[in-house]
Amino acid sequence: MGEVLELRSLKLTDAKDTTDLAVFVRTSDEELASWNRQKIIDALVRETYLDQDTAEIIAEEVEKSILKSGITVLTAPLVRELVDAKLIEKGLEKARKMHTRLGMPLYDVEQLLVYPNKENANVPHGPEATNLTLAENIKKEYALLNVFSQDVSDAHMRGDIHLHDLGFIDRPYCSGQSLEYIKKFGLSLPNSLAIAKPAKHPEVLLAHMVKFAAALQSNFAGAIGWDAVNLFFAPYVEGMSDRELKQLAQMLIFEFSQQAVARGGQAIFSDINLYWEVPKHFEDVPAIGPGGEYTGKVYGEYAKTAQRFVKALFEVYLEGDGCGRPFFFPKPLVHITEKFWKEEGHEEFLRLISEVACEKGNTYFVFDRGNTAKISECCRLSFKLEKSDFEDAKQPWKMRYSALQNVTVNLPRIAYEAKGDDIKLKELITEKVELAVKAHIEKKAFIEKLLSQGEKGPLALLTMNKDGQPYLRMHRVSYLVGMVGLNELVQHHLGFQMHETNAAVQFGLKIISHMKLLTEKLSRKYNMHFVLEQTPAESTAYRFAKLDLKHYPEKTARVVKGNISKGEIYYTNSTYLNVSHPMNPIDRIKIEGLFHPLIEAGSLTHIWLGEKKPNTATMASFIKKIFDYTMNDQVAFSPEFSTCLDCKKTMRGLKEICDYCGSEKLEGMTRITGYFTRISSWNKGKLGELRDRFRSKEYF
Amino acid sequence: MILFSSPGCEKCKIVKESFDLKSIGVRVEELTEDNADGLAMLAWYELVKKAEEGLPLFHDEKQGLTLQGAENITKYLQKLSRNISQN
Repeated sequence: MGEVLELRSLKLTDAKDTTDLAVFVRTSDEELASWNRQKIIDALVRETYLDQDTAEIIAEEVEKSILKSGITVLTAPLVRELVDAKLIEKGLEKARKMHTRLGMPLYDVEQLLVYPNKENANVPHGPEATNLTLAENIKKEYALLNVFSQDVSDAHMRGDIHLHDLGFIDRPYCSGQSLEYIKKFGLSLPNSLAIAKPAKHPEVLLAHMVKFAAALQSNFAGAIGWDAVNLFFAPYVEGMSDRELKQLAQMLIFEFSQQAVARGGQAIFSDINLYWEVPKHFEDVPAIGPGGEYTGKVYGEYAKTAQRFVKALFEVYLEGDGCGRPFFFPKPLVHITEKFWKEEGHEEFLRLISEVACEKGNTYFVFDRGNTAKISECCRLSFKLEKSDFEDAKQPWKMRYSALQNVTVNLPRIAYEAKGDDIKLKELITEKVELAVKAHIEKKAFIEKLLSQGEKGPLALLTMNKDGQPYLRMHRVSYLVGMVGLNELVQHHLGFQMHETNAAVQFGLKIISHMKLLTEKLSRKYNMHFVLEQTPAESTAYRFAKLDLKHYPEKTARVVKGNISKGEIYYTNSTYLNVSHPMNPIDRIKIEGLFHPLIEAGSLTHIWLGEKKPNTATMASFIKKIFDYTMNDQVAFSPEFSTCLDCKKTMRGLKEICDYCGSEKLEGMTRITGYFTRISSWNKGKLGELRDRFRSKEYF
Repeated sequence: MILFSSPGCEKCKIVKESFDLKSIGVRVEELTEDNADGLAMLAWYELVKKAEEGLPLFHDEKQGLTLQGAENITKYLQKLSRNISQN
């Protein structure tokens, strides 16, 4: 790899002894080396199962072809392609596969360097981003060829399933953890040039948190979430004035939102879980304070301080950034528990977080009813705390959760193939879920191979062992099975969309119930934790729709959403109702919420606000209603904004002309899946959805 | 009316053996690892979390009533049986 062979002049007299040929090789060491047929032989023997004799025959024939062709510039990739063509010619398909060269065409690299990649709207366009995309493209190819079996890879390529984050094949998906880990152990990371003892000051703890989040993001493909942030900061901020607390809150939010230096130059996809009350499972836990020492108090005694800090955080969210725009990260996830409603001052706090939801849209409302407790992150992913987790909560630094991979099933295609037959439909769903599980088993094996190299391996950070267990506890990870287009599956199979009849919703519930029971059964079979998650599907809903329109044009055209002529098409995300259907938000939240108890690893309902700014009191009572009368797990309210690139002012709604200076240079932003971002970076499918979104104007 | 039960649930067994459920109009939905339709019904009535807390679970859609636990359900069904036999 990395070599360029240059054919300066060739003697066609005797191809047998190539040492006489005047062919020069420019190596990656910037040396000129002469043409050497043996290199082909060595590569074939090293990389494939071919024997020496066969390799020699192939090399000789390739050499002859090169000589006869009259090629003037010879490159290493070209030689490899010629060798591969020869292997095909001789029926040596397995060897060809093993000898494959991964890389990108010149044209594609040029496109990539010049134009932005819109697969992930959180990745900006710049040298770091193109580095990321180039690396991702090679890793994707590697994963499809070498990590996954051919049936799994083919199913992905066809669009039966989608293997998420293939470009990050050598990392787990996402991570949720507790600040207690760095409070107790300080910041001592493998390969780090300096080791920091546990923080003694809140600002240092914050610095450790941000740096650790950046380090984690280099080892995970998705989001980095933090549990009970305001509570775990509390022992460090006791006695601080309101002004000092606000300053710290501001630092925390700005540090995370401006760190556009992580993975490909993107901001750290970060989530902070926040509580007004002290969650029951932390009430009697001894608190860790400055220097990693126990303070002599339990967290239950820090309720008031934790409340002051969380209020300070939301005051900062309410103000927005320097242009008054909402902060994109860290996403504040407020857990509303049974205890919340009994805690003193909850009314005032609810008004504050409702005001932030109305003004900026940041607040994620996470509903933990009954004895449910969870840690949330990413666009909607959540880890429900089980008995063993509550045990860990007694030593909260142990609380770290990860999902290893996310595989999504293309539901509308299953309906097309089932042709109205209920039995066939379930059979096909089973087949695809089993394929997703197979993909998980294969990724697990690959990650375990990397982890087995321990501290000297590529995932050293995840193997560090400070509390008797590696940071990534493989026996506790989840494997996500997602779904896209339940609405279109039901529409094609029954003739109705889910917002149209109760029977359609009931049928949708049967499909998701089938998937849930199946993942549970397969979990028992393989002793792995397979769980359903509503896939955010930022690009998958578009990819599936595009592939289906190509392979099942008539059927797809009848149900696909968006604008076919503009190519702005998409399937409805996960178990959502049609986003364009005008309906009362409480009805949407209630009906979509019916699916949420079936989807263990996270569900969310979006209420699109558009320009509308609801009344804070109305919003607060709306939240209470959602908690009391629905089963909905998480709700987010999303306004739209435009920022003028000339006068830097931000206004409500997606505008074409600046209200303040009349400029036409405006940048629109709103929530794409679970996070806010600039609309200019959205893919065509998401743009189609944006045009369709029903904005709940008159209901607030 | 639906009684949600599961095969290994002793308390569910007591309720099922104490009444001729069919004759009083109660349908039994056994929540097994293969009964997706039963789970979907549970979800439709927003009872998944309640069922996770414990079975048996009884739901009367007309009355908008949900009862949990063998004792509560038995009492209700006794009353219901009496009313049916009196009529």
